[in-house]
Amino acid sequence: MNTHVILKTEGLCKYWGGLRALDDISLTFHDRQLHGVVGPNGAGKSTLLNLLCGHYKPTSGKIIHEGEPIDAIKPWAFARRGIGRSFQKTNIYPSATCLENCCIAAQRRMGGSFNFLRSRHHQTVLEELATNALEKVGLAKRRDQVAAHISYGEQRQLEIAMVLATSPCVLLLDEPMAGMGHEESLLIIDLLKRLKQEYCIVLVEHDMDAIFELSDQLTVMVDGQHLTTGSVEQVREDPRVREAYLGQGDEVY
Amino acid sequence: MLFQKRTERIFIWVFFPLALMMPLFLEQNTFYVSKLTTIMIFAIFVMSLDYLVGRCGLITLGHAMFYGLGGYIFVMIAPEYDAVNFWIYTFYICAISALIALVIGFLVLRTSGIYMIMITLAFAQMTFYFFSDSIEFGGNDGVFIYVKPDTSLFGISMFDLDNPIHFYYLCLLSLFNTLFFFRLVTRSRFGRVIDAIHENPGRTTALGYNVFVFRLMAYVMASALGAYAGYLFTMQYGFVNPSMLSWQTSGSALVMSILGGLGTLYGAILGTVVYEGLHYVLEHMTEHWLLFMGALIILMVILFKNGIAGYLEKLLEKRS
Ligand SMILES: Nc1ncnc2c1ncn2[C@@H]1O[C@H](COP(=O)(O)OP(=O)(O)OP(=O)(O)O)[C@@H](O)[C@H]1O
Ligand SMILES: [Mg+2]
Repeated sequence: MNTHVILKTEGLCKYWGGLRALDDISLTFHDRQLHGVVGPNGAGKSTLLNLLCGHYKPTSGKIIHEGEPIDAIKPWAFARRGIGRSFQKTNIYPSATCLENCCIAAQRRMGGSFNFLRSRHHQTVLEELATNALEKVGLAKRRDQVAAHISYGEQRQLEIAMVLATSPCVLLLDEPMAGMGHEESLLIIDLLKRLKQEYCIVLVEHDMDAIFELSDQLTVMVDGQHLTTGSVEQVREDPRVREAYLGQGDEVY
Repeated sequence: MLFQKRTERIFIWVFFPLALMMPLFLEQNTFYVSKLTTIMIFAIFVMSLDYLVGRCGLITLGHAMFYGLGGYIFVMIAPEYDAVNFWIYTFYICAISALIALVIGFLVLRTSGIYMIMITLAFAQMTFYFFSDSIEFGGNDGVFIYVKPDTSLFGISMFDLDNPIHFYYLCLLSLFNTLFFFRLVTRSRFGRVIDAIHENPGRTTALGYNVFVFRLMAYVMASALGAYAGYLFTMQYGFVNPSMLSWQTSGSALVMSILGGLGTLYGAILGTVVYEGLHYVLEHMTEHWLLFMGALIILMVILFKNGIAGYLEKLLEKRS
């Protein structure tokens, strides 16, 4: 069950003024496991991912990647270490084609971005990597379409493809299935099942069926606090979890 | 194909042959040749600004600082009464202004949007007052250049800078090279990243690009070319003065690049030619030319949306 720990947080806190968006979170994320994170709205799930990918700096606490503290490094350096993420609010290059969206992601991995000349060879390799990523998420048919013109669900898929094109080792996915149709969701669930055999995935998701099906570890957060972490069975049976959801007036998913 | 857009290829095939033949039509009238030369020079400057504003999304109101520095660096480093080599000094001026741009860009590019506009303007104004208040550099009168550089390369002198026709061709060649260079850059892998940063800097950072460094490189490149344009201008008129550094210079360059079509690069040539053409025509018709000019520019910007180049593209580009 417990494989190699890739990413770890120790006493991670993020305050927005007086608001404790994240309070003293210590978690471990394992290689080749999918770590689900659930909680009511405003629980701090996105904030957690934003800290893990370097988008925000923590107020206090540590983030440790492969044994090294990384909370002080620059935001772009997180991605260079192989920590890739998708955003809750779709974040792509709308005016570029799907292929170009993935090419720019793959190019970062391949290097040569300070090259001022064109290179046929590099272009071919890049397009191969990008097409590969698009195929993985089932978007190959949209390859040459402008990203702004594909459906919302497909844009979510594209975002995952972009992360994959950077060949990451950790995937931070913030509600990748939100706004997707049933068919598309099934496709993503299927994809994640395959991906978690290769990557460490942290998945924030409101779709409980999906998260129960996919998670190896599941963390429940409420109001910036860590409530519990365990296997899906453990969490489902935890009375505090039911209470947290009911107490918030949210429906039980 | 380097020039991807049909409209741009058509423009190149129309504009450059026409410009090449221009001196034949105007042979007896060097006034017009030198007027056209000034336009070519300014178009280089506008193109370098267009790259920054239109391609990189870095809005600056201080680009004229480098235009002026191109001239001032020359008078600072060149001996007063000896002819220097044009090509070597081109290299010096580009290198020195690139270094200056590296330092200034390092400070300026930490800000964005309106703050960046303010800071670039502040830097340009500082340089303006530094030179206009300095006795050594002739204050508001500037500095004269007594000897023009010679342009021999490997012992062959190609252009005689005292001959307006020769100088015209040198500037035309420079303009074409600038367009060619920027087109190479925009089509390169570096250029892809710049486009990505322009469209969505946050996403580009999340992919692992150090946005700041890419912007800095672009800023340095555009500034060095802006300085090269200023150097040519100084060569043409044989003097530098602080008005080259003024915010009005930056402002009119910005208007020209918007008029031509932001980010289109070749639009910078269109914008400069149309702007200067209108300027010339209206100036001879009425003393209130600025009023009419302003009205015409507002009209064109509203009508054309993405400038003249944008309008031409709408007409000529095959819809996919
Ligand atoms: N940039 C910010 N500035 C101020 N407050 C913020 C900021 N980002 C998040 N917050 C606050 O932090 C708290 C946690 O937000 P977060 O987005 O992490 O919740 P979440 O669990 O992702 O919720 P949801 O399920 O709605 O996505 C919220 O109260 C939110 O208003
Ligand atoms: Mg969220």
